[in-house]
Amino acid sequence: MHGRLKVKSTAEQQEAKRKEREKKLKLYNAATTKIFSKKTNGELDEELLYLCGEVLSANPDFYTLWNYRKEVFLELRESKSTTELQNLFLSELFFLESCLKMNPKSYGTWHHRCFVLDTMPQPDWTRELELCNQFLKYDERNFHCWDYRRFIVKRAKVSPEAELEFSMSKISNNFSNYSSWHYRSKLLPLIHPDPTQPMGVSEEAMLKEYELVQNGFFTDPDDQSNWFYHRWLMGR
Amino acid sequence: MGTPIKDVVIPSTAPKSLMLQKHADYIASYGEKKDDYEYVMTEFLRMNGMYWGLTGMALAGQRDRMDRSEVICFVKSCQHECGGFSCSIGHDPHLLSTLSAVQILTLYDALDAVDTEAIVKWVKSLQQPDGSFYGDRWGEVDTRFSFCAVACLTLLHRLEELDIEKAVEFVVSCMNFDGAFGCRPGSESHSGQVYCCVGMLSVTGHLHHINADQLGWWLCERQLASGGLNGRPEKLPDVCYSWWVLASLKIIDRLHWVDKIEIVVVVVVVVVVVVVVVFVVVVVAAVVVATVA
Repeated sequence: MHGRLKVKSTAEQQEAKRKEREKKLKLYNAATTKIFSKKTNGELDEELLYLCGEVLSANPDFYTLWNYRKEVFLELRESKSTTELQNLFLSELFFLESCLKMNPKSYGTWHHRCFVLDTMPQPDWTRELELCNQFLKYDERNFHCWDYRRFIVKRAKVSPEAELEFSMSKISNNFSNYSSWHYRSKLLPLIHPDPTQPMGVSEEAMLKEYELVQNGFFTDPDDQSNWFYHRWLMGR
Repeated sequence: MGTPIKDVVIPSTAPKSLMLQKHADYIASYGEKKDDYEYVMTEFLRMNGMYWGLTGMALAGQRDRMDRSEVICFVKSCQHECGGFSCSIGHDPHLLSTLSAVQILTLYDALDAVDTEAIVKWVKSLQQPDGSFYGDRWGEVDTRFSFCAVACLTLLHRLEELDIEKAVEFVVSCMNFDGAFGCRPGSESHSGQVYCCVGMLSVTGHLHHINADQLGWWLCERQLASGGLNGRPEKLPDVCYSWWVLASLKIIDRLHWVDKIEIVVVVVVVVVVVVVVVFVVVVVAAVVVATVA
């Protein structure tokens, strides 16, 4: 598994861990057996939602269970009122947020959130943007979150100017700016287009950008991201 | 305030040679303990893991230690009616596991064990009007899936079933300011995505879209002082990136750029040593001459 350090533990510690895992596994296997059985019987109900939730909390990469949740919601959409659905989806967003807090890098979790936003009666895009702000505070380099932000921005038609301002606030506050500079490289051609220029951005805007990146050099000469971005500004 | 360079420190006690037999033994016995916690928790990537394990064994020349018929039986039981394969029995079909399934069967020359026509139909159905590919019916888009689709159909000799021009157009739209690639248009560059995009463009004969010098440089910059490679700037190294990055460099014919750094270092060290030796000899000679005189 990525990023797991080898930790030396005593025989005692290992035995305790083994016992705990055995217990966890028993519950986990019982839940998954029940889930597959209900699915086979076509029982797309709230009990299935509950069971899937238990397993996904422990293992959000179990993508099949996110699929089952989608199937349940699409089924419920046929019978529930708009208000009931909205509430169900709001609970789902709450559940998703807890999953994300535990593992903010699971493809399945983020994609399921997109599904909810696209399926619920009244999506709150402002709230979702705020969620992105939160998660980017925890980890400014979380590309899942940046991609989710771009999804929200597209749906909610947030202006590229507003996003440029956001990216600048990240750069002013943080040291790991590669994701923010990258975002700017996509926003600038939208805000200051110039098809006659090699980068598709007006020279004036590029010069302003060069000043910004120079500030970066002086504030933190060891941050690679400034230098990579600088290369682009120089047209290489 | 300086940013500390993120890297690992390799302890002096770390092995200095590849313990190939131990690796082969590990893979051969992996999966025997079906109630191992990690094993159960990673069922969502079983098909992928089997492909990596079998390939490892094949490279180690010990593929015959694996039970060919058991593997083929497992793969078969993961094919769904739609044609796609799931990661394991009972799970939903996905492009990621479908590629791994096709790769495994190709390794064993056993593609006739499954319905290949259904695979082609299903993969084809996942392509979108903008050229991108869904991972499955639920609509996630990612350049990883572009690679999976193209690699899958190439192994089945049916690549022409896809809209290649559109598929290429989409992948190229995921190219960034640094010459590298991300998941979707607008996504940040990442070594794993680079491998998928470079692989996709290579397999479809469209590598000319890549600026090999620019991308080659970005890829070489993944290497840290420890020798390990990372997925993107300011990140810790991980051995998986040694594969994604070096394979990408090989495909764009810039692998020698990484080796060259080693060579340059060796040459520089030799030159410095020679200069120092010459200097010492001259000084000693001067002293001797001065003493004798």
